[in-house]
Amino acid sequence: MRRFKSMQALILATAALASATPALAQSPVSQSPEARLAAYRDRVERLEAQDAVENLQADYGYYFDKGLWDDVADLFSKDGSFEYGQRGVYIGRERIRRALLLFGPNGLAPAHLNNHMQLQSVVVVSKDGNSATGRWQGMVMLSEPGRNGVWGVGIYENKYVKEGGVWKISSLHFYPTALTDYDLGFMKSTLPMEGMSALFPPDRPPTEVYRTLPGNYIPPFSFDHPVTGKSLKDLPQPPDDVLGRK
Amino acid sequence: MKMRILLAASLLAATTALSTPAIAQDKTAGQKLDQLESRITRLEDLNQIEILQRTYGYFVDKGQWTQLSELFTDDATLEIGGKGLFLGKARVLEYMQTAFGPDGAKPGMLANHMQFQPVPDISADGKTGWVRSRAYVMSLGGWGLPLYENEYRKGEDGIWRISRLSGPFTMYSSWEGWGKNALNNTWPDKFDPPPDLPPSTIYLTYPAYYIVPYHYPNPVTGKAFKPDMDEVGAYHRPPGTPEQAAALKVGRMVDGTQPIAEPPKD
Repeated sequence: MRRFKSMQALILATAALASATPALAQSPVSQSPEARLAAYRDRVERLEAQDAVENLQADYGYYFDKGLWDDVADLFSKDGSFEYGQRGVYIGRERIRRALLLFGPNGLAPAHLNNHMQLQSVVVVSKDGNSATGRWQGMVMLSEPGRNGVWGVGIYENKYVKEGGVWKISSLHFYPTALTDYDLGFMKSTLPMEGMSALFPPDRPPTEVYRTLPGNYIPPFSFDHPVTGKSLKDLPQPPDDVLGRK
Repeated sequence: MKMRILLAASLLAATTALSTPAIAQDKTAGQKLDQLESRITRLEDLNQIEILQRTYGYFVDKGQWTQLSELFTDDATLEIGGKGLFLGKARVLEYMQTAFGPDGAKPGMLANHMQFQPVPDISADGKTGWVRSRAYVMSLGGWGLPLYENEYRKGEDGIWRISRLSGPFTMYSSWEGWGKNALNNTWPDKFDPPPDLPPSTIYLTYPAYYIVPYHYPNPVTGKAFKPDMDEVGAYHRPPGTPEQAAALKVGRMVDGTQPIAEPPKD
């Protein structure tokens, strides 16, 4: 990614003349140098956007791990939304700031582990370069005094927006899919998710009702199949006898 | 005219900044743009093969075998663990559906193959790619560590596909953990379907180890990795030690078991 910085120098130097030219996705060699540069600027900006979104989400994880709730909330756009498991949807940066206190006090309490690793990103930047989506694998390691350690895993499906040149989270949705006791493992222990808080209720109920293992659920993909281009939003969901889904 | 001078100046500045050889001076602006385009394309291609590999993982997690098989070229090969080689996209699909059940996520099932730590590369002509990466398996049964050295090909349609997936196992363990339990490698007739070709390499998994050859040289010294060309290619001690030399003579037994601390439980 360091190479982008020097490429950025070129892009900035030529931005003045490139801005007058419409950006094209592909640039045949027959095009004028100005048109080609405009197209390249567009492509480099998309690469930079992807890089910025990856860093933003990694940063979210680092802040969330340590209970730095103000820093977490500040990563959201003003009208951004936050949804974690079956807790429901909190809308707006200031609502999110308070909702995060449901995960513990500001700053991580003693003897707590709250690791939410942000891994395996598939980021897609929109055509106009002003928004993006990202799917992430979320590995979770938790502990608190008086309880055994917990392993967890889940999927993030997030949306991002560029506001005033700065990338922000416009929608974060974490779907935990399996949680277990550290010693027992998934064969002997499957832990449920928290539900909606009565203390500080969400603005909306969960957008999708599902449960963790022993249930199974496929969080809809934000990106299309990379080869066939087909949508992966409506993959058939596995049956669930409680939900009555066949 | 002014525009051209500005363009030339910025390209010259960029050439210096990017520390490419100074021979660029007698190149035309068109040639410099060609070079720039190929470098941008390379970055996009590196991203794309990483995304392919990550998507492969997301499909494995949820048993999306048909979607998974469509990531492959028609003539792709697949080799996982010690199971042998499967030839062609259709056989990739058959392998997955026969060994792991029909398409779809199943209640009570967890088989996450999380895709981490990619080292991607693209060939000079931009048509072939490689990724060395790992899967971190978190499943009902315990933990696993496949390592990948995969190849990707860019089709005439400009779309990247997996042309070779090779995933030798580093370690598989039950929930007891790798300090107490190590599962042996798979072998061709351990489960259906049988492979088209026997394994390309016979090797032992943890507590022994096997180093799948790197597709790239050491990035600092430029030295290529030299695989051990002896008949087994498996080590339970670092290459060059007497223990490793002895291990070369042991190998895998005919029933597929291997000499590890505990007898295989499967």
